[in-house]
Amino acid sequence: MINLIRSEVLKIRSTQVWFWMLLLAGAFTALGSAGTSYNAVQDYRAGNPVDYYSLFTQSSGAAVALLVLGLLGLTTEFRHKTITPTLLATPNRWLLLAGKAASYAVFAIVYAVFCVALNFAIAIIWLSAENVPLDYGHGVPGGVGKAFLTLVLTGMFGLGLGALLRNQAAAMVFGIVYFFVLGPLLSVIPGVRKGYAWTPGGAIQAFNSNGVTDGLADDVHLLAPLAGGLLFVAWSLALLLIGGRISLGRDIS
Amino acid sequence: MTAPPGQPAPGQPAPGQPAAGRAADAGRRGGDGRIVVENLTKVFGTQRAVDSLSFTVEPGSVTGFLGPNGAGKTTTLRMLLGLVRPTSGLATVNGVNYQSLPKPLQTVGAALEAASFHPAHTGLQHLRIYCAAAGLPARRADEVLELVGLTQAAKKKTKGYSMGMRQRLGLAATLLGDPRVLILDEPANGLDPEGIRWLRGFFRHLAGEGRTVLVSSHQLAEVQEVADRAVILNRGKLVRAGTLAELSAGTATTVVRGPALTPLQQALAAAGFSGTTEPDGALRIRTDQIAHVGHLAFTHGVELHELRLEEFDLERLFFSLTEGEHRAADLGPAGQLPAGYQQGGAR
Repeated sequence: MINLIRSEVLKIRSTQVWFWMLLLAGAFTALGSAGTSYNAVQDYRAGNPVDYYSLFTQSSGAAVALLVLGLLGLTTEFRHKTITPTLLATPNRWLLLAGKAASYAVFAIVYAVFCVALNFAIAIIWLSAENVPLDYGHGVPGGVGKAFLTLVLTGMFGLGLGALLRNQAAAMVFGIVYFFVLGPLLSVIPGVRKGYAWTPGGAIQAFNSNGVTDGLADDVHLLAPLAGGLLFVAWSLALLLIGGRISLGRDIS
Repeated sequence: MTAPPGQPAPGQPAPGQPAAGRAADAGRRGGDGRIVVENLTKVFGTQRAVDSLSFTVEPGSVTGFLGPNGAGKTTTLRMLLGLVRPTSGLATVNGVNYQSLPKPLQTVGAALEAASFHPAHTGLQHLRIYCAAAGLPARRADEVLELVGLTQAAKKKTKGYSMGMRQRLGLAATLLGDPRVLILDEPANGLDPEGIRWLRGFFRHLAGEGRTVLVSSHQLAEVQEVADRAVILNRGKLVRAGTLAELSAGTATTVVRGPALTPLQQALAAAGFSGTTEPDGALRIRTDQIAHVGHLAFTHGVELHELRLEEFDLERLFFSLTEGEHRAADLGPAGQLPAGYQQGGAR
C-alpha cells in the first residue's frame, strides 16, 4: 500500500495540475475571506453582531478546487489510457482504489491546511486593519476543524464521483453543476426540498452549520452537524464503492 | 534511432550466460515463466471474440502470436493480463492468474498499446511512477531508458514523442521489474525500418537472456527471425500452434520456370508430386527435393530458366491459414497432376 501511495502521489506531483488547483483553491479562499471579512467589518460598524463562525470557517470556494482535484483522480487514468499500465502494476482494483483514496486524502489535507490558514490570515489581517476585535469563541475552533474535514471529504467525494462517471468532462460538469446549481435548487423546490437534508449538499451544509440555517425554507430540516458529517462520509464512500465496482469492474479494452 | 541494446541492465544475465545460470536466475525472478491458456473464451454481446482457445508458451521461448486484425489477439492478451474478464476458461502465468501474482511487474512485463502515457509526464516520470508502484528503485527507470535508447528523451514530455519513441518507452516499461515473461502487443506498429531493425535486435537480446516472450505482430518476417514458436489465430480460434520447424514441415516449395513445362508437369504428376501453376506459367511444386525435379526436367528434355527451393515463409503460411485458402491437407505432398495443379492457386 505504501508503494501504491508513493506511486499515486508521484502521479499527481508529476503534472502541474496540483499547483494550479492549489492556486485556484487559494484564490477562491481569498475571495471568500474578502467577502466575509468585509461583511464582518460592516456588521461591526453597524453595531450588529459579527458572524465570527462564518468568518473563520468559510471553505466552500476551496471545496470546488478539491472537488475538481478528486474528480481528476480516476478520470485522468481513463482519458489518457494510463489505466492499463496502472492496472498492470496494481492488478487488484480495490487496492488501487484504496491507494488513490489515501493519496488524494494526503493532498487534500495539504490543500485544507493551506486554505484554512490562508482564510485565517486574511480575516485576521483585514479585521485588525479595520480595528475590529477578534473573537475566537462562538464555536470557531470546532468549526475550523469541520471546515478542514469538509475540504478533505470533498476531495474524496470528487474521487468517488469520477470513479462513477469515468468520463472526465462529464464528471467535471456534473460535479460543479451539482454543487452550484442543482444542490441549491433542490433546497428550494417545494415537495423536493424536504429531502434536501439527505443529499450530499444538505449533509455538508449540516456538518458545517453552527445551528444557523439562514436561507432555507421552514420545512427544510438539516441533520445535526455530526449526523450531516457522517452522511457526507457515507455518500463519499458509496460513490467510491459503486464507482469502483462499475468503472473498475469493467473490462479495460 | 540508436543501436540495438547491447548491455544488460544490472542484475540481468549477460547474453550467452550458461543455461544453469539462466535457470537459477529464472528462479530468482520467480516462477518458470510458462504461460498457459486453456479453453479461453470471451463473448462480447453476440460476438465470440475468443473461442475456446488453448495454447502454451514454453519458458525461455520467443513465441509469435499471429492473426489478422480482429482475430482476438489483443483480447486474449488482455485476458491473460487480467484487464478483460474471460467469459470462461483460464489464462495463467507461472500457474496463477495475473491478479494473483505477488509481484506482477517483477514477473510479467507487458506492452499493450503505444499511447498509454499521460501527455504531461516525461518518459522518466512515467517510468518512475511504475517503479514506485512496484517498489523498485527510481534509478531502474534510467537504466531501462538507456536499454531502449531513450536516455536523450528521458526528460521530454511524452506528448512530444514520435510513435517509435512511444513504442520504445512501452518496451522500457516492460523491463522495469526485470521480468521473466514479456508480453508485447504489436510492438512494431508505427516503427520505421530503422526502428524495425532495432526491434529485431531487442528481441534477440531478450531471447538471448532466456526470457519467455509472447509477441503479437503483423511483422511476420521479424517474428520469424527471432521466434522459436508461433500460435496462429483466426476469428478467435486457434488455427495452428507449434515450433517453426513443426509449422514448416511439408511446406517446402520448389519453383520452376521455363518456356514449355507441360512435359515436366506430366513427369512430376507421374512421380507423385503435387503443386500449382502460377498465372505467369511458373510451377510451384510442394517438395524440397529440388535435385529430383531438376533430374526429371533433364531426363524429359525440358528447358529450365529457373529452378529454386523456396524457403519456409511464415507470412505465406499465415496468410494461407488465416484466409482459408490453404487447408491443412493441402500442405502435404499428395494428389495427382494435373488435378493437383490449380491456376493461381495457393500462394
